Amino acid sequence: MHAVSLEVPRRSEPAELTFAAVAEDHLDDVYGYLLYLTKNWALAEDLTSETFETALRRWRRFDPRRGTHRSWLLAIARSTALDWFRADSRRKRREERSEAGTPDAQEHAFGETFSPELEEGLRTLTAGEREVVALRVVLDLDGDETARLLGITVTAVSTRLHRALAKLEERMRHHDVA
Amino acid sequence: MTSPDLIHELTATRPTAPIALRARVREIAVQEGAPSGSPGASFWPKLRLPVRRIAFVAVPAAATIAIASSAVLGLARSDSNIAALRPDQAETLESLDKAAPQNVPGTLLGAADQSASPAVGPTLDRAQRISATLTVEVADSDAVSRAAQKALDLTESLGGHVVSANVATGDQGSAALVVRVPVDKVQEAIVQLSALGRIASQQVTIDDLQENLDRLAKRERSVRSQIAVVTARLESDSLDATTRAQLESRRRTLQQELRGLRQETAATNAEARMATIQLTVVTPGVLNAVPVPSRLDRTLDEALNVLVWEGVIALAIAIIAAPFALLIFATWIGRRLYRRREEDRLLAT
Repeated sequence: MHAVSLEVPRRSEPAELTFAAVAEDHLDDVYGYLLYLTKNWALAEDLTSETFETALRRWRRFDPRRGTHRSWLLAIARSTALDWFRADSRRKRREERSEAGTPDAQEHAFGETFSPELEEGLRTLTAGEREVVALRVVLDLDGDETARLLGITVTAVSTRLHRALAKLEERMRHHDVA
Repeated sequence: MTSPDLIHELTATRPTAPIALRARVREIAVQEGAPSGSPGASFWPKLRLPVRRIAFVAVPAAATIAIASSAVLGLARSDSNIAALRPDQAETLESLDKAAPQNVPGTLLGAADQSASPAVGPTLDRAQRISATLTVEVADSDAVSRAAQKALDLTESLGGHVVSANVATGDQGSAALVVRVPVDKVQEAIVQLSALGRIASQQVTIDDLQENLDRLAKRERSVRSQIAVVTARLESDSLDATTRAQLESRRRTLQQELRGLRQETAATNAEARMATIQLTVVTPGVLNAVPVPSRLDRTLDEALNVLVWEGVIALAIAIIAAPFALLIFATWIGRRLYRRREEDRLLAT
């Protein structure tokens, strides 16, 4: 009788990747998410850089058992964006500045690849709605992963996505009619 | 535009990072000090542990430590206890052995204390209350009955009487007798009762009654003289009716008191004339009914005591820490809810 050892095929271990490789793989995801969230490409670029700087500092603490590299990076991106929103909100309150003149008003805020009607539709959505569209539709995260990232239930993700798409569709239909 | 078309457009226009941003991120990734290995591969092991895992390990570990420490302490204490216990037990057994067959007539306490102290006996010129307690061990249940019968016969022969008798037969027979014998026969009674078997214990108590008798006699003399005085005054013819009535009342009271004093004196004398002996006859099984606990029993008892104390300490800590833990938990919940609401507000724009 011979002892037989079976080689069980294993999924490629994401933990073996270097930070540079992970950053290269998920740069578009992080940037896309932040662009949808902020509706400002310049701001999205800044926050993307900041996200990867933070990720680099926390690279040793990444635990592959708790999620993928993409989820981890998106969580950092979300936290970075929320910090910026907080700071911006405080600054607005302090300076009593109006919405006019903020980066929201710039032309081609999402970049030139977006059609005018899509960009206009996206502008009408709230940041929370754009966020869920970015995660579920554009980045194709599943419901569980999105729910975990946003800290809400899967049902809430589904509801929010449905509402956002309906709102976006309605807005774009009006644009077509006009 | 329908939903599929919309989704198609959204996915088709998926944003890509500009070249400048890509270059900037690459610079970040390869900058000096950037980790080249896999995450979690630092020299130091990860100290972050999930709370559930900590609880899963810590709770059984704490329980194990508590039980182990109580077992060790219980073992150590049971060892020290046996060291403390044995001399006493040895002493008790030694005294019982000494007490057994060495009764000597003429001494009230017999042989139990014969070698250690001079014999203590009744003083015949003084009234005393003598009480003796004897426990005699006999071979078996039949011997208990025989000894009880002999004790009753002996009491009668000595001019005494039985106050109570309780004889139980069976595997572990026993008899409890209370008898009274004349005080001048008490020594003989104790000697003969002790000879019924092996003496397991013996105690004699002597209370002096003479002082009480002397006090009663003195009072009686006083009352008698008062009665005589009152009687002499009553025999006078010059007394008015009121005074006569008062003196007669006084004489009646004194006479009543005199009767009481006489009764009390008689009772005390009766008590001093008879000695009370409580005799218990047992078989060896009765005396050994309370076994010395084994080492294992003592260890378990001590371990249980330690566990109880550990529980008390843990409870005290929990009671003290509970408000702080509750406060921390409430703060954590409140902070989390606040952040959630703040995030919702920020993302609603």
